[in-house]
Amino acid sequence: MATDNTTPLSFAEVDQTVTRTLEPAGRLYWSVVVALLLGMGFGLVCWIYQILVGIGAGGQNNPVHWGTYLVNFVFWVGIAHSGTLISAILHLLRAPWRNPVARAAETMTVFAICTAGLFPLIHLGRVWMAFFMIPVPNQRTLWPNFQSPLIFDLVAISTYLIVSVLFWYTGMLPDLAAIRDRASGAKKRIFRALSLGWTGRYQQWAHYARSYLLFAALATPLVISVHSVVSWDFALGVIPGWHTTIFAPYFVAGAIHSGLAMVLTLIIPLRAIFGYQRIITMGVLEKVAQTIIFTGLIMGYSYATEHFIAWYSQSSVEMEQMAFRMFGDMAPQFWIMIVFNSLVPLLFFFRRFRRSLFWLFALSILINIGMWFERYVIIIGGVAHDFLPHAFGGYAPTFIEYGIMLGTFCLFFFLFILFVKHMPSVSMTEMKEKISEDQAHGQ
Amino acid sequence: MANNTVTLTALFQEDVRAAQAVRDITSPSWRVERVCGPVPSEAIHQALRGKKTPVGWFTLIGGLLGLVTGYGFASFTSLRWELIVSGKPVVALVPFLIVGFELAVLFAVLGTVIGLILHTRLPAYGDEEDNPVECTADRFGLVVQCPAAELGELQAFLEERGAWVRRQ
Repeated sequence: MATDNTTPLSFAEVDQTVTRTLEPAGRLYWSVVVALLLGMGFGLVCWIYQILVGIGAGGQNNPVHWGTYLVNFVFWVGIAHSGTLISAILHLLRAPWRNPVARAAETMTVFAICTAGLFPLIHLGRVWMAFFMIPVPNQRTLWPNFQSPLIFDLVAISTYLIVSVLFWYTGMLPDLAAIRDRASGAKKRIFRALSLGWTGRYQQWAHYARSYLLFAALATPLVISVHSVVSWDFALGVIPGWHTTIFAPYFVAGAIHSGLAMVLTLIIPLRAIFGYQRIITMGVLEKVAQTIIFTGLIMGYSYATEHFIAWYSQSSVEMEQMAFRMFGDMAPQFWIMIVFNSLVPLLFFFRRFRRSLFWLFALSILINIGMWFERYVIIIGGVAHDFLPHAFGGYAPTFIEYGIMLGTFCLFFFLFILFVKHMPSVSMTEMKEKISEDQAHGQ
Repeated sequence: MANNTVTLTALFQEDVRAAQAVRDITSPSWRVERVCGPVPSEAIHQALRGKKTPVGWFTLIGGLLGLVTGYGFASFTSLRWELIVSGKPVVALVPFLIVGFELAVLFAVLGTVIGLILHTRLPAYGDEEDNPVECTADRFGLVVQCPAAELGELQAFLEERGAWVRRQ
């Protein structure tokens, strides 16, 4: 197999590279899986403890009733967004650099929504009452309030999960068939079942290509609406620092910012471990970094606008809230947010940082940390310091909250590494389409 | 076709060559059974004179149904208890837009999936057994039937157009 960097990729090389990743895993892989399982188990124990003793096991208390559970919820929903940006929006824009990373990003989306979906249940305390949110006929003839942003959220997140899973699975069909035709034994039977008898006949392709385009066209407004709806959980509450019209675009940009950073965090090790250097090239990573510059600038602009509007409106509570963020108890988290989200991404203006795997990986982690703290500042800051000085209060997560957080992070990475070792982690079909287009254009 | 027919599989490296072969098969005794490949190809679609897919109609109908369902369901449940919440009317059209929009997208996607399943006839377990396995990897395949007497002629015809040919 030709692997020198100047030789153009071929269909066969793509197939061989991706199929090789599905070979039986070694001890190191299974050790990581076990470690993540233990982390998940620890999180589960913490959650069970909270269910047994009550929601007071977490640090949420008057006036901060929304703590790390909501912070993590918004964080993971945000992470979920760039998968759809890469797979849907960039598909519509015909950006060729999306193809090598689209599958990893879509996978990240699906597992991030699953992780996010756990937090409202955890935060509910009495988790067995979750069905109250679901609009089903009941003997009390009570229905959820469809004017409530929390119900908007339920509808939006459920829709997003279903659409993302369908988009992801449909996109995988031709790849599953390709692996089926190259596998044997139990693996062949599994992939045969999953590929639904896909053959690649042109009658199938015609419907498939149009359907995929329609999926992308529908997912694009959906992705924007979902994080807007998440932002309205806050913006529709009359709380200083929350009640602002900039929240929807600010949250959407933030979601894409954090998601792109997470894409880098995931694909850089994936690329090294699976030998994807010829597929996920430095050029692709550079494009992701350049997009992060763009979203980072939007974040910086949004932070500045929030503060400017607080001053320009001369609303004393808004100004007080912004001062609290900058100089009060929230200052360390606030400055982490500013530096990591809007200043650190500017380093990607320099080619040296964009072309270095170390810097790409390190900066992507800093941005993830910054984005987690952004949600912390917004959610905790608003309720900890609202209208009445005698009602001001503080908040610190408890050991149980940290345990649950660790468990959910382990869950996300557990699902992701299980997927990448057992399913095609690069879209073979889209890579082949790219090769085909490059050949047609004589590149 | 009668029993004295044979089937040939022709594998092409490029979709344009496969498309050209499809166009050039004009003999009434030769029948193109299937054309398959690893990626969508506009050239082959045109050569097969493929019709425009009607999947979009399923999407449209699904979307409209979702919009009506979203608004209808939110209005129906609000009218069960006519309580004014947050000073908004009981049937509050603006907030219900969120539910209407989300269900419109959801139903449109479900409509697309139904359209795709109906038109591609998936799941079609067993169909892949008649399919050249190269077609899911790196070749564009043509499966052509012809009378046994014309086997050599068809083989030469396909090879002339750059195909690697084998008998099924």
